[in-house]
Amino acid sequence: MTELSLKDLTKHYGSVKALDGFTHVFEAGQVHALIGKNGSGKSTFVKMISGAVQPTRGTIHVGDSEANFTTPRQAQDAGIATVYQELSLVPELSVAENIYLGRLPKRRSGLIDWRRLNRLTEELFQEIGGLEISPSALIADLSVGQQQMIEIVKAMSFRPQVLQLDEPTSALAQTEVQHLFALVRRLRALGVTIIYITHRLAELGMIADTVTAIRDGVFVGSVPIDKASPPVILDMMFGDLPPLVRPATQIKREDPVLSVRKLALFPFFNDVNFDLFAGEVLGIAGMLGSGRTELLHALFGARKLDSGTMRVRGDTVAMPDIPTMKSLGVGYTSEDRKHAGLVQMLSSHANLCLAGQAKIAPSGWITNGRERPFVERQIAGLHIKVGDPMLPVASLSGGNQQKIVVGNWMNNAPEILLFDEPARGVDVQAKRQIYELIWEKARDGVSSIVVSTELEDLTECCDRILVLRDGQISETFANAGIDPKDIYAACMAAPQTVGAVS
Amino acid sequence: MTRTKVISILRRNSMLLILLALYVLVATTANGFFTINNQLNILRNIAVPGMIAFGMALVIIVGEIDLSVGSMVAVSACLTAWFVEKLSGGAFEPAAWTVIVAFAGTLLFAASIGLMAGLLRQKINVPTFITSLAMMATLAGLANLITGGVPISSFPSWYYFIGSGRFLGVPVPVYLLAVAFAITFTISNFTALGRSIYAVGGNMEAARLSGINVWRTKIICLMMTSVFAAIGGIIYSSLVNAGNPTIARGLELEVISAVIIGGISLFGGKGTIWGAFIGVLFLGVLLNAMTLWGFNPYVQQVIKGGLILAAVFINFFIDRK
Repeated sequence: MTELSLKDLTKHYGSVKALDGFTHVFEAGQVHALIGKNGSGKSTFVKMISGAVQPTRGTIHVGDSEANFTTPRQAQDAGIATVYQELSLVPELSVAENIYLGRLPKRRSGLIDWRRLNRLTEELFQEIGGLEISPSALIADLSVGQQQMIEIVKAMSFRPQVLQLDEPTSALAQTEVQHLFALVRRLRALGVTIIYITHRLAELGMIADTVTAIRDGVFVGSVPIDKASPPVILDMMFGDLPPLVRPATQIKREDPVLSVRKLALFPFFNDVNFDLFAGEVLGIAGMLGSGRTELLHALFGARKLDSGTMRVRGDTVAMPDIPTMKSLGVGYTSEDRKHAGLVQMLSSHANLCLAGQAKIAPSGWITNGRERPFVERQIAGLHIKVGDPMLPVASLSGGNQQKIVVGNWMNNAPEILLFDEPARGVDVQAKRQIYELIWEKARDGVSSIVVSTELEDLTECCDRILVLRDGQISETFANAGIDPKDIYAACMAAPQTVGAVS
Repeated sequence: MTRTKVISILRRNSMLLILLALYVLVATTANGFFTINNQLNILRNIAVPGMIAFGMALVIIVGEIDLSVGSMVAVSACLTAWFVEKLSGGAFEPAAWTVIVAFAGTLLFAASIGLMAGLLRQKINVPTFITSLAMMATLAGLANLITGGVPISSFPSWYYFIGSGRFLGVPVPVYLLAVAFAITFTISNFTALGRSIYAVGGNMEAARLSGINVWRTKIICLMMTSVFAAIGGIIYSSLVNAGNPTIARGLELEVISAVIIGGISLFGGKGTIWGAFIGVLFLGVLLNAMTLWGFNPYVQQVIKGGLILAAVFINFFIDRK
């Protein structure tokens, strides 16, 4: 059999033990979920199995043969394929070209044998049960979910015995996740050992056969999925964790802080109306492509509205652009921390002082000393784990980076905070801390709008949830123990008016 | 101080260490290098490329480039001479006000070219690499046009003082270099604008979504560099006492080389004004030394090119650690 067995697998970076004595056998033909909070050693695990980094000590066996590799290529030859979170496809090449990149079939003349290439790709698709994607389609024309599947098919074309999937669903919508799961199940049926890394605990029951947890670089345990109830999982990941309770809030529903009427931004939405009250946490749900992010951008002034009126504390905003909205106390944290939230090469210190410049240095003169109290206040207040705030922010974990983004806006003394996917790519503990922070600010009267793909996150965090569908707010839920399924149904409901949005 | 701290300080100042090593090498092997006069001479020689390099450093940190600074120096020298000639009606000893008006006109012209490059980048997304490449040719042509291809000597007798004069024994351009350093150093370290420059160069979208005025930041850097180049042109026009359209050919390469040697990343977001100064001084010392050593000018060129590559390698290995 071609199970993956690890013995005493260890990686030390200087005095830091990223992974320490990991010993476990992953059975063949099963999907093994690997869970752990940020910084627990999951990525080090993946990198060692994929040959990207070498273990300090310990052994890796694929089946009976010991695998000793110093490069990812050798790991591939040994039958281990890895699909990373970041896609590595070339957008301007076709599906088939991407799959066989670097080993394209050639004719005797040395030119590419296109017919054979497309046939090989078709055969590959057939083998895994068929994909409704044309081998000659351009990657750029596919959805993120389809791209993710091509990435997996590409990995499969190397005929691996072990396949590692690093958070394959983090950027996918619900329907695409189902397609991806179907693909993973077919691979499992082919006898592949699948290591499945995820932050979405709700997925485990749908796809995993076993759940294995790492905590602080140490193997905690591995349980079959029927024994892996949520308390067991959280216990494995975090040890003891107090339950998260949304505080009861008394929101005065008069004099809205933010009031929008007939907002339209073609082609995303055409008639959005809602009020946001002081201290309220308002969730916005909607399918991928429903215009959630675009709505937040428009509220922040980062995108120009086609029509509609916005009022902040009763006053109409004539020109909603970023400086205006900022001066009215609106802050925005992006769904894309890496590319739109932080300046990765700058320090945590500098990243905490981007949005608040006008508050920190009203005269335009800045020194590190002047910024320091603002930096220290956020690091302490948000429990940000930074060794040295002068080191680049890129070295922090996802959760801590997200807190830096939030802290950046806190330094501008915001009154309305717009959160786009605040829990994306952060672990459960960091997610809780971010929610607690939102609630804490709500008690001080700060209002928040939270957009999330994860409906469970919205029901966990928000006082009220709006469903954005067909270009308008189609339903409103007051959150008193609502079931995410109801919201999901509301998001998916068929359009009520034919041709409301193109 | 711990060992790692020492290593980190050494690493951050590696170019300074290399410069010091060069100083020791040259001082022990070249006659007449380590005299006050020669040192002041070096500083005077690097004054013009230096002040432009400070501006260029900001432009590159903010994520843009300006290839037109050499031509800007030439056209500014000619424009100043042309203004003086026209305003004074070709008088033998033009009045001081004609020179002052000429300065104002030249600097205004330079600033508007920088503004234009910035606006083209903002409104129709033309990379500054392209606009400044076009400007490099346009401005050089303009310099020839306004002079008719021959130097204009229209300046009053005291005009030499700006480029060749001394105050308290120190050449005047060295003071101008110091002022340019003070301005750019202050901006980059002690102002909100400086913070914005690094943020915009490091991640334009993140900066925009933090409410930073991205375009204003870029345009200020581009305008400032154009103006520094124009001041450089004025200094050169004083040194040769004429508006000469052929001066400063290829100066942009020297300036950009210095900036790269100084450890400023061409990808933006990274580097310091101090680094730019080290880079300029390094090139200046090397050039001076090679002359003292009696190297043939062609050899000098080859060595200069090799050094740029070497500097890039050094910075690459420092960054990797």
